[in-house]
Amino acid sequence: MKNRYYKYSIVIFLIFTFFIFYYGLKEKNFYTPEDISIKKFPNLILNDFYTNSETSFDDILIGSNYYLVNIWASWCLPCREEHPYLVQLKKNSPIKIIGINYKDKRDNALKFLDEYENPYLTILTDNNGIASIEIGAYGVPESFILNKEKKIIKKIIGPIDRKKFNEIKELIKK
Amino acid sequence: MILNYLGNFALLFCLIISLVIFITSISSLNNKNFFLKKNLIELLFFKFFFTVLSFSSLIILFIISEFSNETVLNNSHISKPLFYKISGTWGNHEGSLLLWLLVLTFFAFFYFLNSKNRPTDERLLTILFQEVIILGFLFFLLKASNPFNIIYPVPKEGLGLNPILQDPLLAIHPPVLYLGYVTTSIVFSSSLAGLIKGNINNLWAKDIKKWVFISWTFLTLGILLGSIWAYYELGWGGFWFWDPVENISLMPWLSLTALVHCVLALEKRSILHSWTVILSIITFTLGICGTFLVRSGILNSVHTFANDPERGLYILFFLFFLIFLSVFIYFIYEDKFELNNKNLNLYTKETSIILNNWFVMYFLSVILIGTVYPIFLEVLSNEKISVGPPFFNKLIIPFLIPFLIFMSIGPNLKWIKNNYFSKKLKLITIFILSIILSTLVSKFFGNTALNITILLAASFYLFIITIKDLIKKGFKNYSQTISHFGFSLLVLSVLLNSIFSNEITSNMRVGDEIKFSDKIIKLQKLENTTEANFLKLIAYFKIEEKNKTELVLEPEIRIYDKPETITSEAAIKTDIFKDRFLVINLVKENEYLNVRYQEKPFMLWIWISAIIISLGGIINIFKKNEKQIL
Amino acid sequence: MYNKKVKLRALFLFLSIATLILTIFLVLKALEENVVYFLSPTEVKNLNETTTEKIRLGGMVKDQSIKINSDKINFIITDFKNEINVTYSGIVPNLFQEGKGVVAEGILRDKNYFKAEKILAKHDENYIPPEVKASLGEK
Repeated sequence: MKNRYYKYSIVIFLIFTFFIFYYGLKEKNFYTPEDISIKKFPNLILNDFYTNSETSFDDILIGSNYYLVNIWASWCLPCREEHPYLVQLKKNSPIKIIGINYKDKRDNALKFLDEYENPYLTILTDNNGIASIEIGAYGVPESFILNKEKKIIKKIIGPIDRKKFNEIKELIKK
Repeated sequence: MILNYLGNFALLFCLIISLVIFITSISSLNNKNFFLKKNLIELLFFKFFFTVLSFSSLIILFIISEFSNETVLNNSHISKPLFYKISGTWGNHEGSLLLWLLVLTFFAFFYFLNSKNRPTDERLLTILFQEVIILGFLFFLLKASNPFNIIYPVPKEGLGLNPILQDPLLAIHPPVLYLGYVTTSIVFSSSLAGLIKGNINNLWAKDIKKWVFISWTFLTLGILLGSIWAYYELGWGGFWFWDPVENISLMPWLSLTALVHCVLALEKRSILHSWTVILSIITFTLGICGTFLVRSGILNSVHTFANDPERGLYILFFLFFLIFLSVFIYFIYEDKFELNNKNLNLYTKETSIILNNWFVMYFLSVILIGTVYPIFLEVLSNEKISVGPPFFNKLIIPFLIPFLIFMSIGPNLKWIKNNYFSKKLKLITIFILSIILSTLVSKFFGNTALNITILLAASFYLFIITIKDLIKKGFKNYSQTISHFGFSLLVLSVLLNSIFSNEITSNMRVGDEIKFSDKIIKLQKLENTTEANFLKLIAYFKIEEKNKTELVLEPEIRIYDKPETITSEAAIKTDIFKDRFLVINLVKENEYLNVRYQEKPFMLWIWISAIIISLGGIINIFKKNEKQIL
Repeated sequence: MYNKKVKLRALFLFLSIATLILTIFLVLKALEENVVYFLSPTEVKNLNETTTEKIRLGGMVKDQSIKINSDKINFIITDFKNEINVTYSGIVPNLFQEGKGVVAEGILRDKNYFKAEKILAKHDENYIPPEVKASLGEK
């Protein structure tokens, strides 16, 4: 009898420890000031995809709490994979999506947008890829989430998938 | 590119083989499966081979800087020196897990080769438990931290390795530590297998002893390397900070130290059966628990690792799966232990071993509570706290005194029965001698704290007695004497170090001078140079002593570009008696340099004594088995 | 029918329990005395009375706030709601920079003034102390 009690108590203690650790993992840190050292998105001037007029980022990045800057190209296969998520984001969330068309042929890009729907509020062209380097991109596709102050709060290298999509939704909910 | 697939597929093959071994060994537990008996060794070898394949492809990926691999991208950089490209392989989460797996599969194979004198079903069971652990790691690797994730499009440049990790010591520190951790898994599996088969006896102890010593030696060396690194790289001039991550590596070491003693008692006297098994379980689970606490970011420590709660969750489940598995096996097969029908006499070696275990378990629980208490409190009451060095010092130092005394007397006692009184006079004489010695030392250096004096006396006592034993007994049981001697030296040097350490901190400009006891420290000039992957700022300090000896120290600040990080390289001048330690830091673009100069006596002896301690373990591994005393 | 073995077992059990109780007692007592609480500047401002105990103060080093002279470093820790002046003499960690997270251990003089004995920062450029973890998206 005595023996059984000690077994029970050990098991209960272990389960207790498990839950403590479990909740310890889940615990959100209660103290979270906004990091002011985060890099600000550079204010570049690029040509508009449709009108070809010079447009600066400062002119586009207004009037929303969150922006998504997406670097894409019609020749890039992963861009096709992530495209539906961008469309969904456009439809279901307040985020403004800005596209940077990277080293692309205009005709192909237009075909691409026709085929897959255009999620972008504005598209800028980066024909020689210099702007993308200045932004600090590794390649296509790549996305930056900016906040109201044009600070990069998230950077996604590679295509947006289901997981990243949910992360974005989580991020802009706040 | 192809190496990515090669590594990945090798891991998958590993998984398949593991599953095959797992399933066939379960089915062959009762009806001695012929296939398994004949082919297990080949299967184990192939599994090891595939892990080697996978691991070498990762190393090659790192060497050729193949940034299509996510792990390489995140942790390497083209301009990094080759040596750190290679060590970068296991300097990150994914790679270190792969290394862990490599060692696991190697030891599973090695164990099977070297356990021919054990009953077949026990070996099979051990391999089965080992396979459970390996499968856990494999799933974790493939599911949550695959080192072969492919990034497309291929980036041109990697993100670099944290420069603080670019250090030769840190390149070998994790492998050594892992060797220690992984060997405890063999002890764990074997003790569970022995428990189920009712084989826990002196013969089992004799066979598992080697593994316990291997593991203990590696862990000792691993902890030593870690603290040497912390000493000169973190720039705080200490070697042990009671930081959670350090505590976590110390806990398995403590329980392993208890196990080392207890396995001896089991071998020689057939006592402490159940306790040995419990200790084996505790040691291994503490090792995994450490991985969980460190990798999940649940702890608040000054050592950084990339944290990911999701991974933490996986390790947590795995950890508690193993704990519950072993606890239930223990409860179910508890009755199978041989009954302890030996009488214990007070003045015997076995009593002192029990005492040793008692103390070690006390130290262990203090450290365990101090480390996890903040987590508990935060979850239960949402208060954030930290438990610092005073807590540990207060609870551990006083109990070191009796511990050291038992440590000196214990090995001089005999098994079973002891004619203690013949030696009593000698032991007391030495004790009085060491009290006098420590009082003299304390008086001479103007230290008046009573507890420190007593602690000094106790460590002098152990010191003198182990030297006496070394001389007198010669080669009888010398591995134990050497380790104990090393321990006394360690306590002595740590004590003297902490009593006589001296330091000064100041902010200085070029040309400034500060006075420090009888020395003048002068900042002469600053110099900029450019190295392969960092900028270097060297400060030249001249330290003039009264008796006209001059010393130039050249601490550095390194500014790495990938990723952008600043590190301080301390200038350390080591000699037999003391270390002179100078570290500088830059505070933005300020004309003042943040300077700290420390004089730390007997630093070298701390490292040497830790090496001596593990030397005892090494000797024991290669020593031939002594005759049974039963 | 108490033979030697049973007596020994009883003694052993008694000693184990005694040690356990002693350990718990000692540990609890030491914890009570040596625990260091972590507070943010806002929490410090909300304290009813300033403690004389050692605390850890965490937040960001305010921009343009680091001032250095030959024996002291003064700076401001902020959580963007409240600020506290900190004075410290000693070596700072490499990642002690303006706009970066910092944890200072020391004693509160009053609600606006903190005397630090130790400055902690992690050795990672991406690091922000867990208590000060910012809403960084990446990693």
